[in-house]
Order: sequence, then structure tokens, then C-alpha cells
Amino acid sequence: MRESTKMLLHYVTALIIIVTGLIHLLANNDPNVGKLISSNTYLYLGNMAIFLAALLYHAFNGIRVILIELVPDKCWTKLIGWAILLIGVVTYIVGFQVLLMALGLI
Amino acid sequence: MESSSVMESSMDLWKPVGTVKIRVYKYNPRKDFAPGWKEYEIEVSRGTTILDALLRIKEETDPSLAFRYSCGQALCGSCAMMVNGRQMLICRTRVLEVAKGGKIELRPLDNFPIIRDLACDFKSFFDKHRAVKPWIIRKDVEELENPTGDYKQTIEEYARYYQFTDCLKCGACYSACPTVATDHEYLGPQALSQAYRYIVDTRDDGLEERIAVVDSDHGCWRCHFATSCSDVCPKYVDPAQGIQLLKKLILRSKLGFKPHKPAEVLPSKIGEVKRG
Amino acid sequence: MSEELEYYAQNRRGVSGWFKVRGYVIERKLYALHRITGILIVLFILPHFYSTGWHPGLWWDALLGVIVTFHVANGLRLTLLELFGIGIGRPLLVKKPFQRPVSIEGKQRYLLAISIIIFIVLAIIWSYYAILVKPLMGG
Repeated sequence: MRESTKMLLHYVTALIIIVTGLIHLLANNDPNVGKLISSNTYLYLGNMAIFLAALLYHAFNGIRVILIELVPDKCWTKLIGWAILLIGVVTYIVGFQVLLMALGLI
Repeated sequence: MESSSVMESSMDLWKPVGTVKIRVYKYNPRKDFAPGWKEYEIEVSRGTTILDALLRIKEETDPSLAFRYSCGQALCGSCAMMVNGRQMLICRTRVLEVAKGGKIELRPLDNFPIIRDLACDFKSFFDKHRAVKPWIIRKDVEELENPTGDYKQTIEEYARYYQFTDCLKCGACYSACPTVATDHEYLGPQALSQAYRYIVDTRDDGLEERIAVVDSDHGCWRCHFATSCSDVCPKYVDPAQGIQLLKKLILRSKLGFKPHKPAEVLPSKIGEVKRG
Repeated sequence: MSEELEYYAQNRRGVSGWFKVRGYVIERKLYALHRITGILIVLFILPHFYSTGWHPGLWWDALLGVIVTFHVANGLRLTLLELFGIGIGRPLLVKKPFQRPVSIEGKQRYLLAISIIIFIVLAIIWSYYAILVKPLMGG
């Protein structure tokens, strides 16, 4: 994957985070709009699934960029990339499970 | 012609107006264990540049002081260094312009290996410049070898890259960049803006060759728009603008938009010159 | 080559170079803050995930709000500049003496002002919810 693809996704996920994150914040903090959002459980689950994916991609790509700038050597760059991907996937699985538990679906 | 008392003579620029303390970074990696500082006191006038002051110090006080200079008129880019924590060309910076409380601190450029005192090693900097292939690349090799004419270019096409041609390769932008501080593989603002200068030049046809270099782990995407490069550039090249435009160009090329068609040849007498 | 040179001869600023902001334009300071807020957000997110929605209360929540809204507002500015080139200006054909760079002191400054306003507005809204609304809702 070229660096431009990864960074384009970084920007796209940033925009997705703003939209889905706003819905998440309103659901948890606003008494009126919050009830409206939380009542559609499956829609909210869908929103949170997308939010979680976008947030994890954006955050871990940011960490990858910072680590690559700190340790620029080629072999470390590859290792960091794959390690971050692995941690990201595991965190998503764990996070999705926590989400299902929090919404009372499992 | 009598001179009015109100009108200053241009020679007033060179009348001594006071003394300034210049604190210089002294380090010889071959001999010294750690860097040190040495302070010199020098009499200056309004017109004295930091280069004038250093040359006088070298002549009169300390001949061992090492620093680079050449043209003395902001054309060659040899004399860039840190003056009070900011990258500048010392040949065109007046001492009194930057002296804070009558003191100046001189250091070699940040993030460049030091050869001695204020002189830095530019090998890695030039290698990165070479890596982006800073020359016109064309597919019509026959035309390059045996030219039949000039390449056609309008003034609007020229305006798209002229700003970046003023680069002196002084190293100030590369030194000011925060990414360069940790990432020694990062190409740097100078190389990236020169990559943009050549890609966008309508005479050039080398987008594919250069994209592999600039669209890499340590290419233009490691720029985070800190803008210090454009802030310190002595020739107003604005490398930050070049890099952001390069990013936009790379994304457009992913969608299939090429920056331009390679310029066509205008036949001229150049092809008729016969070399003996 | 850098491995053969000693620490002082390499003359690399290292991580302190990211935060060397004195003497440069404001955009350099915003870059350093964007990096710091990004790292702080990641540090908040990890306990937020792993212990089912742990959230700080009151003033700490407001501080989190300031951090997040700054990162969002500055991020929007950077996205517009880097992806779309809005505000980055055109290369000049004629340079005046002591020309300031167009990409910094041209239209980009309007974008900067707008993003600061967005940041302040969002931070106030978040702090309002954190300090006034949330305690009434039951924490």
C-alpha cells in the first residue's frame, strides 16, 4: 500500500470520526437527542462500529507516523507497520465486544 | 553641494556605534570531547553584517574560527547558520538587527552533522536532492541528445514553478523542519519542493520516476505543515507551499489526472548548428 | 554515516526539535500542540475502551474537551490545506523585497482564524455539557 493511500484514509477517517463521534457524544450527553439516538439500538451499533474502526485507524496510523519519524530505519518501519496493524485489529475485536456488552446485545 | 544637517550621509552607515558581544559555538569533533562557547566583543556600525563581524574576528582575534561563506550577497547559500536560535544567511543580516541586549549567539545549522565550529556537512542533504532527480526527464531521448528546437512553454506555465527555482540549497529550511530533527531519512523541504518544481515543469515528463521517491515512508507525507521552512527561507521559495501542492498532485495522479502534457518542441536554428 | 559520528557531531535535535517553537510563526506552535493533543487523546482512549466507557468527571472532562476540540479544529484546517489546497495560494512570479511566504501569510491566515473560532465554540459547548449538563443527568 502506498503512503498516499494510507494518508488519504487518515484524512477520510478523520472526517468520519467527526460525524460519528458527534452522534456518540450526543447519545451519551444530551438528555433529549440522546434518548432519540439510543432508542434505535441497531442503528447506534452501526454508528459505533464505523466510529470505532475510523478512530482506531486514525489513532494507530498517527502512532505509526510518530514511531516511523522516531526510528526511521527500514526494517523497523516494516515491523512497526505490521505490529500496529495487529494491535489495531485485536483492539477492534475487543472494542466491538465491549460495545455489544454495553448495548446489552450479548 | 552642501550636506544638510538633517540629511544623513551614506557613510554614517559605517560609523562605529557601539560594541556587541558575539557568542560562538566552538567544537572540533576530532579534538574536543564536548562543544563549548567562546565570546568575542566587536565594534560594529549600523551596516556591519554578521559575516563582516566574523571575518574581523578571524583576522584580528581568533584565526581558528571555522565558518563557510562565499558570495557575501545572499546568492550562494553558503553562510546559513543559527543566529539567536533562528536560521539565517549571515551575509545579509546586520548585527544590530538581531542583537538582543547587545548579544548575538551563533550556532551551526541544526540537524546537520558538524565538521567544525560553524561549518556543517551537507552530504546527506545533497544526496536527498539527487534522489528526487532534479533534472528534466523526457521520453524523447533522441531530441535531448540531438536537439532540433526549444521546448514551448507559456508564461503561465512558467509561473507555476518559477518561485521554486530560486532555491540556493542553503539548508535553512531543512534545518528548521521539525521532522528532520528525528527522521534522518526524511527527504526534507528542499528536495520535496524541487521534486514539485520539476514535476510541474511542462518540459518535464518524469512523474512516474519521482513519485516512487516522494510518495514513500519518508517522503512528502511526513510533512505536517509546521511552515518553519517557508518562514526561514532567505529567497522566499516557500517550500511548504510546494510540498502541499505536491501532495495534492499525488492524490490527483492517483485518480488518473496527469499534471500536464509534455511540452512540444518548437523547431529553431539550434538544430542547424553543426559541431565540428 | 550518522552512526559513526558522536552525539554532538551529529547535531540532531531529536524530539526536542518537535517542540522548538520559539522564534517561528504560529503555525509551528499549532503543529506542536496538534502532536501533543493527538498523543493525549490516544492515552485517554485506551482506558476508555478497556474499562467500558470510563470517563473523567467535571473539570477533567472539560480539559479533555479542550484537547479534543483543538485537535479536531486544527485537523480540519490541515485537511483543507493539505488535501484540497484551500488557502495554500499560488506560486508567485514576482517577489517583492522581504516577501513573506504566501502559503503562511496569505489566505491561510483566514482559515486559521476560522479554525480557532471553531475550536473556542466547540470547547465551550463541550465544557457546558461536561460541567453543567452531565452532573444533572447523573454523571
